[in-house]
Amino acid sequence: MNNILMKKIDLIKQEIRKTGTEAVPMNLRLFLFLLVLVLTIVLGVVVILFITGTFTAGLSESEHMIENELLHAEQGITKQYGELSIQAIEFSRELSGSIEEEAHKLGIPLSNLQDHPEMLEELISNEFDRSLFFLQRSKSSGVFFILNATINPALDNAKNSRAGLYIKNMEPNIISNSAPNIIILRGMPGISRKNSLSLHTQWKMEFDVSDAPYYHRPISAAHANHKLPLSRLYYWSTVFTLPDTSEEVMLCSVPLIDSRGNIYGVCGFEISTMLFKLSHMPNNNTFNRLFCMLSPVTESIELNKSMVAGGYSARIISKGDDTLKISENRRAFYSYRNQDNSFLGIHKLAHLYPKGSAFSDEKWAVAILVPEEDIVNSITRLNLILISLLMILVILGIILSFVLSRRFLKPITEGLDIIRSTDLSEAPRTRIAEIDDLIDFLAAHNEELYEKASQENLSISILDKFLENTQNLSPAERAVFDLYVKGHTAKEIAEILCLSINTIKTHNKRIYMKLNVASREELLLYISLLNEIGSDI
Amino acid sequence: MNKKSLACIILIIMFIPVITGCDAIKANSKNPQTLTLWHNYGGQLKDTMDDMVDEFNETVAADKGIIINVTSISGSATLHEKLLMAANGDPGAPILPDITTAYPKTALILAEKGLLADLNEQFSSQELSAYIPEFLQEGRLLGEHLYVFPTAKSTEVLFVNRTIFDRFASDTGVRIEDLLTFEGIIRTAELYYDWTDKQTPHTANDGKMFFMPDSVFNYSMVAYKQLGDEFIKNDSINFTSPKFSKVWECYHKPAVLGQVAVFDGYATDLAKTGDIICSTGSTAGVSFFSPTVTYADNTSEPAELDILPYPVFAGGKKVAVQRGAGMCVIKSTKEKEYLAGIFLKWFTSPENNLRFVSSTGYLPVTEEAFGEIMSQEIKNISDDNIKKLLQTSRIMQKEYQFYIPPLFDGMDELQIEYEKHLKDTVAESRNTYIDLVNDSDSAAAYEAASNGKYQDFINK
Repeated sequence: MNNILMKKIDLIKQEIRKTGTEAVPMNLRLFLFLLVLVLTIVLGVVVILFITGTFTAGLSESEHMIENELLHAEQGITKQYGELSIQAIEFSRELSGSIEEEAHKLGIPLSNLQDHPEMLEELISNEFDRSLFFLQRSKSSGVFFILNATINPALDNAKNSRAGLYIKNMEPNIISNSAPNIIILRGMPGISRKNSLSLHTQWKMEFDVSDAPYYHRPISAAHANHKLPLSRLYYWSTVFTLPDTSEEVMLCSVPLIDSRGNIYGVCGFEISTMLFKLSHMPNNNTFNRLFCMLSPVTESIELNKSMVAGGYSARIISKGDDTLKISENRRAFYSYRNQDNSFLGIHKLAHLYPKGSAFSDEKWAVAILVPEEDIVNSITRLNLILISLLMILVILGIILSFVLSRRFLKPITEGLDIIRSTDLSEAPRTRIAEIDDLIDFLAAHNEELYEKASQENLSISILDKFLENTQNLSPAERAVFDLYVKGHTAKEIAEILCLSINTIKTHNKRIYMKLNVASREELLLYISLLNEIGSDI
Repeated sequence: MNKKSLACIILIIMFIPVITGCDAIKANSKNPQTLTLWHNYGGQLKDTMDDMVDEFNETVAADKGIIINVTSISGSATLHEKLLMAANGDPGAPILPDITTAYPKTALILAEKGLLADLNEQFSSQELSAYIPEFLQEGRLLGEHLYVFPTAKSTEVLFVNRTIFDRFASDTGVRIEDLLTFEGIIRTAELYYDWTDKQTPHTANDGKMFFMPDSVFNYSMVAYKQLGDEFIKNDSINFTSPKFSKVWECYHKPAVLGQVAVFDGYATDLAKTGDIICSTGSTAGVSFFSPTVTYADNTSEPAELDILPYPVFAGGKKVAVQRGAGMCVIKSTKEKEYLAGIFLKWFTSPENNLRFVSSTGYLPVTEEAFGEIMSQEIKNISDDNIKKLLQTSRIMQKEYQFYIPPLFDGMDELQIEYEKHLKDTVAESRNTYIDLVNDSDSAAAYEAASNGKYQDFINK
């Protein structure tokens, strides 16, 4: 019986263990719960970043920065070009007055300047100091004036050759009047030698005006608009290279008009590509290849007619295809594309001419551009950092969940081990109230169980004695006893065994005596108990 | 596999996107460093330099993360002044660039202020061994620091307007070979003056100048060297040497007589207008010669240029000055200095160096480029002047000794002072001569104009 009970307890323990191993363990369960929590938090952060536009913040920031650069560049360019325009007008007024006076002294009418080529050198030479003064005051890279006459009308190209003076300041950004910076690009060599100035390496004596809008357009405009003041007649050329030179320039030219209204030439200032570059190079701390442009603008930008300032070479952009097509984007920036290059940026109209100018229909724009890949890379880089940080957050969350779940469950598993141990009454305290309560409870419960079991053991020993006594029954008594076990009454037993009821009673008395019972009811109780525990009687 | 290993593997797998993400930033980085460059390759050289900078920016620079941004193109004198202004922090001075062309005299001043990076750090000794040692030596300042890297060097040659010279030679019988010595040049100059004077018989003494040495200081230094002496001794001019009389004789007299030009600008200015037809000057000056000569009435004629080796004094050694700016790297961050080194290596690689040389008139700086490659390259050059120049340079490379002028504090001032003093003395004598020559014969006028000038000059 004892063995059977012990087996039963073992079976229960095994079942418990089996259940423990097949189901999800507590620490894994807790780890997964914590993981869900971590992932939910990270997901929440991602959603917040999306909603607050952090993932596209790089784009907005770039746009803001480029807008500021554009504003700055536009102000700088408008100021520089505006001041040069004003000074060119002033230069024209002073020069016209001075040349008219000199011509008058020499007896030459300005309308017939070409009839007196021998006087040109003197006329031009007289204006050297004034020109140099305006050059230095204007901080431009060059000053020039061209008269509607040539020194040698007999030459083949005389109709396209015009006498004048073109002085260049090679370093307009430096406040220095040192002679090597000032050189003569066009003009009589006598003027350079008289003033100890060098001739430009690409010096020519006269201007070739065969393809010179800077010469013809202001003169034509002055002819067409007699009443317009000089402030409405100045003209800004697009970027071009003067014949037989290497440097690209923009020229501001104003007609030379005498007091009688004779238009006899132009004068003005130069802005070289280097001067523009040094004056308007945008801050390229964020984007190294950020650049600023001043361009005549329609639906596209013609690169070969534009000024460029920045770390990016316009020559590289314009190789193959020198037109940048402008298209508007939905989100931010304009796109500027040609065959091989794609830029993002913004542009703004620049006002080079006042209202009522003969050239006010010519639109110019200041643009700040950056290669598209630079912006994309910048945003990608920013987002990669964000994603990396989120990944690190997830990984740290996982590690923390793992460690926390283990640490949290450690006392519980230890508690369980204690519970599994045999003697709970002497078990150490876990310092976790619930587990200590459970151990106490289980210890108390175990005690109860033992008590019960001891009682049960006592009953079992009486039954065992009873069974042992059945061995002392005679065969006749055993036959009667067996029929009692099968549930027959005394009368039925007398009939089955063909004995008288008195004989049965005699047997009964003996059976009672041998089995140590007082009555037939007690006997039947023993039999019933033995049947209940399944014992073979 | 134990739990720890498993955890490590999981962590590594989880970090892979982060790690590869970082790598992707580096590999795709289009955020290069901008290096500003000042150079003195203006005028016709500008196109070549622009093309090379663009090519570098498009190729090597794009891979390595560099943008070369040219922020100044000036003449060498202006560049010198500008660099000094920037180095001294003068008002209105620009910020120093990352790379600049500079003569050793400029570089020395910058190096003394601790503004230059030592290029020995960017080049291995094996890399440096490819360069012509004399060219490297010129850039070693303040000890063995390599502050000026040879990018394109030059020497001096004799430029002759062959069109006018041939016309003159056919009338007078002079020969181009006469121009191989200074004495020959002076004789020819006298003949040329007479020849041009006779072309306007109604105006006396209006003959034209024939010759101009671009730098009288170089002329004097080389004259001494050719004659076996040193022009600069103990950081001052060696006037006690009898060789100075030769220098004086070949310059002062013909200049006073109007046969040799005394001019503050470059000889090419006078050559453009036909005021001289022969000059000594830097090989790099070849592109400054106009293909035409423009006269006072704006008529012009094509001018064929001939280039002869630097003249030698009779009985002297074949010596010519070694010139040409190199490139200096301004001290900044290690990264910028390294990137500047990449540019210099690319710019002076034999292939690129020859490309630059073959369109500018400079001399290559590597042994390889100066060797067989150069003779092959010469055949392919379309510009006749450059072709002639490189042929002459090759001859000089074989036959001449190149003289590196000494470098010391005050050398620049010494040169300026000497040239001014000499030119002023000559100009004064010339003015006196002009005043006297109409009333007396030329020899007497010269005698009166130059009397005591030599002694005055060397004693001053």
